[in-house]
Amino acid sequence: MTLDSETVLSARKLSKAVDGPDGRLTILEEVSLSVARGASLAIVGASGSGKTTLLGLLAGLDRPTGGEVTLDGQRLDTLDEEARARLRRRLVGFVFQSFHLLPALSAEENVMLPLELEGRDDARERAQKALGDVGLGQRLHHYPHQLSGGEQQRVALARAFVHGPALLFADEPTGNLDQRTGATITDLLFAMNREHATTLVLVTHDPKLAARCARTVHMRDGRLIEDAA
Amino acid sequence: MKPVAFAARSLRREFRHGELATLAAALVLAVAALAAVGTLAARVERAIVASAAELLGGDLGVSARRGALPEDFVDEARRAGLATNRIVEFSSVVFSGEASQFTEIRAVDPAFPLRGALSVRSADGGAREAAAPAPGEVYADRAVLAGLGRNVGDRLQIGGRDLAIAGEIVNAPGGSVFQFAPTVLMSLADADAAGLLGPGSRASYRLLVAGEAPAVERYAAWAREHLPPAARLTSVEDAQQNLRTAFERGESFLRLAALLAALLAGIAVALAAQRFSRRKTEEVALLRCLGASRSEIVLALTLELALLAVPACLIGAALGLGLQEAAFAFARELLPGAVPALPWGPSLSAFLIGLAVLFGFALPPLLRLRDVEPMRVFRRDLDTRIRRFDALYLLPFAVGALLILIESGSGRLAAVLGGGLLGVALATLAVSLLLLKALRAGGRRLPGALRFGLANLVRRRALTLIQVGALALSLTALDLLAVIGPSLLERWRADLPADTPNYFVLNVQPDQRQDFKARLDGLGARNLSLLPLAAGKLVAINGKAPRAADYGDERAGNWIEGEVRVSWSAEVPPSNRIVQGAWHGADSASPQMSVDQSWFEMFKLALGDTMTLRIGDQEVTATVSSVREVDWDSFRVNFFMMLDPAHGDALPHSFIASFHLPPGSAGLAELSRALPNVSLVDINAILDRVRDIIERVSSAVTWVLGFSLIAGLLVLLAALAATADERRFEIALLRTLGANSGQLNAAVLGEFAALGLLAGVVAAGGAAATGIALARTVFRLPDYWPPLGTLGAIAIASTVLVMLAGLAGTRRIARTPPVAVLRGAS
Repeated sequence: MTLDSETVLSARKLSKAVDGPDGRLTILEEVSLSVARGASLAIVGASGSGKTTLLGLLAGLDRPTGGEVTLDGQRLDTLDEEARARLRRRLVGFVFQSFHLLPALSAEENVMLPLELEGRDDARERAQKALGDVGLGQRLHHYPHQLSGGEQQRVALARAFVHGPALLFADEPTGNLDQRTGATITDLLFAMNREHATTLVLVTHDPKLAARCARTVHMRDGRLIEDAA
Repeated sequence: MKPVAFAARSLRREFRHGELATLAAALVLAVAALAAVGTLAARVERAIVASAAELLGGDLGVSARRGALPEDFVDEARRAGLATNRIVEFSSVVFSGEASQFTEIRAVDPAFPLRGALSVRSADGGAREAAAPAPGEVYADRAVLAGLGRNVGDRLQIGGRDLAIAGEIVNAPGGSVFQFAPTVLMSLADADAAGLLGPGSRASYRLLVAGEAPAVERYAAWAREHLPPAARLTSVEDAQQNLRTAFERGESFLRLAALLAALLAGIAVALAAQRFSRRKTEEVALLRCLGASRSEIVLALTLELALLAVPACLIGAALGLGLQEAAFAFARELLPGAVPALPWGPSLSAFLIGLAVLFGFALPPLLRLRDVEPMRVFRRDLDTRIRRFDALYLLPFAVGALLILIESGSGRLAAVLGGGLLGVALATLAVSLLLLKALRAGGRRLPGALRFGLANLVRRRALTLIQVGALALSLTALDLLAVIGPSLLERWRADLPADTPNYFVLNVQPDQRQDFKARLDGLGARNLSLLPLAAGKLVAINGKAPRAADYGDERAGNWIEGEVRVSWSAEVPPSNRIVQGAWHGADSASPQMSVDQSWFEMFKLALGDTMTLRIGDQEVTATVSSVREVDWDSFRVNFFMMLDPAHGDALPHSFIASFHLPPGSAGLAELSRALPNVSLVDINAILDRVRDIIERVSSAVTWVLGFSLIAGLLVLLAALAATADERRFEIALLRTLGANSGQLNAAVLGEFAALGLLAGVVAAGGAAATGIALARTVFRLPDYWPPLGTLGAIAIASTVLVMLAGLAGTRRIARTPPVAVLRGAS
């Protein structure tokens, strides 16, 4: 696997093992892959196949026990948590299965969070615009519990894109939604991805959602068994 | 990230949602309690000093024999901007017609009195405030007028000068309770003119000064350096031990109540912070995921706390000042003279302690959040990892200990309270661990729902221990406030029963003793103590002349320079208790001495040491064979030194008596006439004053205790609210699985009953033990016994309360559709 200027994310022989009650457990075994800038990649697999762990390692949320991860030209596995946090803040957006909106914050405030972390003065205006982009311009001051599941995930999408990340990591973004709402969110996600020219890495076990990505990889028992480009 | 702005926004958002309300309320209450009680105590303390100054007649006194005090003592005082007042005291016989009376004359200059007020009764019987007697006039005690058979408006002769009796003395500052004859107050100019103060007179001279505290301090320092031998300084601290003790006890009560309130609020802050940090975990994980660094999180959390703490502490301090102003309105009447200014120190220290409590209790759990893994956004189980010991957790203990030490104002109060609470914490830990072990072993035999409830205790071991600990400590504090405090106050009130001696009689001669006793018995006097009294000088300790410098205590010097009094008795006098050695009894072969504990320590004595006294022309050397703890507040006749009677009787002596008779008994006047050399001292006024102080201080304390109770209930709410969160998910799950409300209630009741009973019983025991220790060491009420029945009842009541509160909290949760809870928890 070669690294060229167009590769924004790559992993080489990435492994993760944890100490469990019955000895050492390998969750991820020597996974290698690379993602080109602007591409979309779906990681699919059964529950427990290690796909969320892989996502966490690729996004720099956790450290591998072996192998390398390079994100936008920076080796993640050699950085400490503080440096990885700085990198995440600049480059990465997230969408989660269970939305992860802060209940005490309004929709607008939730979207402002990444901008506030960057210390931007125009956080409010940009958050309002981002919420307008996902069709929630009228719900700025609603709290998560006042919003439906689909609306909450739209807020999460606005939050994920608001600071213009180079990469977006999505973990089962439609997993908690019904089919119709899920489809709407999927459309919105891909539309925004195109618009922002973001690289998308998506974890799912929904084949339809995976099919929307330009490329799909399969996980089984901690290994990447297929790379269907 | 802009940490201040971020923290401010975060605080505002969380406040809007009530997340921080408990934390803020606990803090406001803690600071308010500390500020109110601290300020009140400081003002009362200032008032005591002012009141003692009135009893002394000035802020500082210098006493010497006439002519022994250089004139520059007056000059120096004037240079320092202090007011001065010269008083000369001597004994003299006054005449009026055929009648004569032995009196103590006090000749004063026109500045008298510098502090306090002189009040006299005119011929019409009305009392008025008066200036110092003008030349040609005197004021006289009632006993003088009775002895002479004269009234106000008549005349009397002193040293050949004819003077008008311008008033009967009602109250004159600066007098001594223990003087041997009634007083006549005259002008210094008259005394000088009458030649009473010439060479050879045995007059004693007193210079009183008064002014601003710093100037008095400086003058005292100067005077100490220039003090001629045989002269001595009298400060306000030396005046009126009885009143001081009353105020000091009151102050200890106030401080105890304030401390308990602050500790309760501290526990509330700790629990609220624990709960807050659990809720914050999700947010921190998300922020970390979005790229916030550890240091940014720590900074933001610390700033958020600071932004919460500063306004809350300010509000608390302001509230406290308002409360103490209300409380002081009660106390104002009992404090004579000017209202002491509002001291700012206690509010400031309450403010700082509030910050310390918040950071001490809240920071550790919040800082733990810096270790939240960003991967937690995907996996909840990550926070169940066992964490290593964190030194930060010692912070609350350090803050608690410091709080106790600073606020108690006394090492003993701090030690007893700190020890009691530590004991309760350890006992709770031990009993809880035993219970958990028993439940693990035998829990399976319990019926279904109850088993589930109790199994919860075992499963959440750490939380169970924290909850039982917090509950037990809060209940201990509540027991101390609601039961021990009031019962100690009650015991204190009983300290001055209705038949407390209210008269002292001095100068009863040995041959008058039988007659005197018979007359008093005839009048129905109660509580009579009649003891011999010999006055002399302490000339040697262990064969060597004592030197003031050897003892490092100004009082010791005063005793060495001045007169000491000794008595003797075959039995240990009432309100005395032997704490070391053995009482000498009646028939001792060699002279034996029993010494008051404070003297024993002041003169660094040991059992077996000898003390030599010169009484008249005799010397007696006695071996120290016992040490007594004397209740100086009993208003009985008491002595620092008591000889054995076999050797005491040989010394020249008179008798001194204390007894109780209803005030103004008619028979007393007859007694005075029949035994004219005897002087009668009426201490009803002092007794009334002490009783008044006890009443008012105890009502102020009751009020503070009530205030502290509110703080305690807040803690209980915080503790239970903290557990409610934990149960939401379980109850929803149980309901989803088909549990009916009876089963849910049984599970919850079983769990809370175990929590409440354990905490309640340990707390009752701890409070009882702490109460006994407080009574013995701090309040000096050795025979106090806590009302165990009430404590037991409170243990049961608190168990029921905890069960009900648990049930109420759970009921609210049980009404929410389970699906909402399960979804919210996912």
